[in-house]
Amino acid sequence: MADFKIHHREGEGVYIIELKGYLDAHTAPDLETAFQKLLTEKKYRIIVNCRDLTYISSAGLGVFMAYIEDVRKNKGDIKLSNMSAKVFNVFDLLGFPLLYEIYKEEKEAMTKFKTVKAS
Amino acid sequence: MSRIKKIILVVIPPILFLLVFTYDIIRATTNPLEIVWLDFAREAFIIVAFVLIYLFLESSRANVKQAATKDVGRLLIVCAVALSIVALVGFVGPGNSNQNEEQTGYSAINIFLSMVLGLCLGWVSLRSLLTIKDLVLFKRKKGTKRNFMLYLILLFGSVAPMLPVFSFETNLVGTLFFGLTVAAIVANSFRQNWIVYLSRKQKIYVIVYSALLFTGFVLLNVLFFEKTFTNKALLAFSLPLHRFTQLNAIFGAVYFGMAFVSTLFHLPTAEVFERKQFEITSLHNLSRLVTQVFDFNDLVNTVTQMTLEVCGAKSAWLELVKIDKEDFTSFEIVSARNVTRDRIEQMNGGEQTSLRNLVIESKKYLLIEDVSADRRTKHVSAEKLLKGSLLSIPLISHGSLIGILHATKEFEYGFDQDDIDVLTTFADNVTIAIDNSKLIARSIERERLQQEMMVAQAMQRRLLPESLPTSDKLDIVAVSESSAEVGGDYYDFIQLPDDKVGVVVGDVSGKGVSAAFYMAEMKGIFLSLSTFCASPKDLLIRANEALMGSLEKKAFISLIYAIIDTRAGTVHIARAGHCPLVYLSGNEVELVRPTGLGLGLTKGSVFVQATEERLIKLREGDICIFYTDGITESRNANGDEFGSERLVAVAQRSKNRTAEEIKNEVLQEVRKHVGSPVTGDDMTLVVIKWLAKKGVRV
Repeated sequence: MADFKIHHREGEGVYIIELKGYLDAHTAPDLETAFQKLLTEKKYRIIVNCRDLTYISSAGLGVFMAYIEDVRKNKGDIKLSNMSAKVFNVFDLLGFPLLYEIYKEEKEAMTKFKTVKAS
Repeated sequence: MSRIKKIILVVIPPILFLLVFTYDIIRATTNPLEIVWLDFAREAFIIVAFVLIYLFLESSRANVKQAATKDVGRLLIVCAVALSIVALVGFVGPGNSNQNEEQTGYSAINIFLSMVLGLCLGWVSLRSLLTIKDLVLFKRKKGTKRNFMLYLILLFGSVAPMLPVFSFETNLVGTLFFGLTVAAIVANSFRQNWIVYLSRKQKIYVIVYSALLFTGFVLLNVLFFEKTFTNKALLAFSLPLHRFTQLNAIFGAVYFGMAFVSTLFHLPTAEVFERKQFEITSLHNLSRLVTQVFDFNDLVNTVTQMTLEVCGAKSAWLELVKIDKEDFTSFEIVSARNVTRDRIEQMNGGEQTSLRNLVIESKKYLLIEDVSADRRTKHVSAEKLLKGSLLSIPLISHGSLIGILHATKEFEYGFDQDDIDVLTTFADNVTIAIDNSKLIARSIERERLQQEMMVAQAMQRRLLPESLPTSDKLDIVAVSESSAEVGGDYYDFIQLPDDKVGVVVGDVSGKGVSAAFYMAEMKGIFLSLSTFCASPKDLLIRANEALMGSLEKKAFISLIYAIIDTRAGTVHIARAGHCPLVYLSGNEVELVRPTGLGLGLTKGSVFVQATEERLIKLREGDICIFYTDGITESRNANGDEFGSERLVAVAQRSKNRTAEEIKNEVLQEVRKHVGSPVTGDDMTLVVIKWLAKKGVRV
């Protein structure tokens, strides 16, 4: 059942991960690998576009928790965008909007990165 | 051989010989009448005695199975001793006889000497007959025994006419049989199979022994044709014995002459034969492979060791195919003998020149007869990495390549067709062993996971409450169905002072044993905090502090905690990231969702500020339904979730029923929605109906 794909993009110094499909305990490791790779390459400005994300489980949510600390320590962030109502509800129930910046559109997140970009 | 038989065989012959000797002496000194039947009896005694000796020798040989070389060596000793005695007799004898050629003389000493001669030569003959019989019958075929029996029959046919009862005419028959016997001797002498199986050292011994035996038997033959004292003495003793000895001496000479020539010719091939024997023995040890499938490292190291043994290779290595998550194929060298992994990588020298590719593409073995001359190994010899010959065999399992086995030899053209055949057969066995090893490892892993699940499930069951709180004002029902994968659902009740009841429902993220562990921790924290935390918000804040230290980064717990005051008829509720409460009152339904963060996500002020508390005043018939996302996220075949809307709908429909009935309705609807047996997440449902007539105002 679990069909899950990750698509990478880059724009203006920000790295975008597009999630497609079903993010659960079986497919979560793929997301972990993607985050790990970005961290190794010192890419700390990350937007996760959830437009095609159909489902997320606690395992999927846990992946964000695993990497957010390191990303923010390096003056970066993981911002989320384009969630469907159903997926947003899952994040919202847990109170994620209090911990993460979740935007309706990717470009809003992009703008936020640009305004923060000091120097 | 029973002891009685043994005693008979040892004791009787000497007695018989003594009788014969006595008779000879008497006849010599007293000159009695020539009575034929007495002579016949005398011969019979001699024959019987020798037959018994033969049986004795045969049985003592049967007890100790000896190697051919040793047997021949011992025969040589017997021969040497016998010839020495014959020589001695020949030397001593003539001095005592008359110059008369008619007879050897009647002196007692001569009679004694001829008996000694007879015994000696009879012994040699029997001994050599037994040895030759064993050698001829070595690894025999159907006709071999028959041919040897033919010789024995013809031998008998030659010897029997020599008995005193027969007249001279029958001696023509004897002569005829003599000729046939010699023919049988020659025919049997071609049976030299035993030589092939000797080691090089043994062959050299045999060459010497057979040369000496040949000489010895020839000497014996010479004695029989000359008018020597020994010849006459033996004839006087026993004609049949004379014939018997003569024929056996001819057999000995011909057989060991042939043995000498055969062994000489076999000598150059001895080394090759020995090597082949060693390789075959090594192959027998293949059974070792089968038993080593439990430890992968042992298995691959045995494989390379055996490769060296079965084909006499200088070095060998085994590499296996590894496919990683992104379907990228690479080779891993799992075992190497007499060559380093670095050297192997250097020999492969990169993609273009890699010999692996030739094997991968053709899926057949690759033989480089001469590394320095072959263009495929140009780079290898140029950098002096290897010289000699190389053989690479693919390991094919179910049509695909799982690895390659390599062997090298120091000299060019070192691998012959036998080596290739042996190694390909060996490789097939290696493939099977490796497949089995992987299967077993997977099986063990599966078993381990199953065990883990069972432990987790047992733990989980123990953590759930055994009984429900009793209150005449509350109709409480609770159920938790754990999924096959053990999701981490938790619920609990606690009886608090002042007729208050605490209800908690939660969901630990993750699955399996770690989720079960966190659940246990949560239960401990809940039970201890609930005794002194007056408000749900307070408990959640403290629980979060306690858990932040022990939960790993990825893990968190969602929780909903309600304190029901049965005196006041109120519910105090706070929610740490959990599903909202379904609250039915009258005709209305509300998803009660105070703000809150899941436990274990963050600590400090963010959590405190995020956590909200709600107070609900209960009216008679009000229903509170606590649940976990296993209920709302249950999917049907199309992927549609059950969802909170359906849950609310069911609850509303059944709001006038008992808590038990409501619970059953919900579960039934979920099962109907999903269709097939539910898998995936745990499902937990706690239904509480407020029965009191009127809520007492606080």
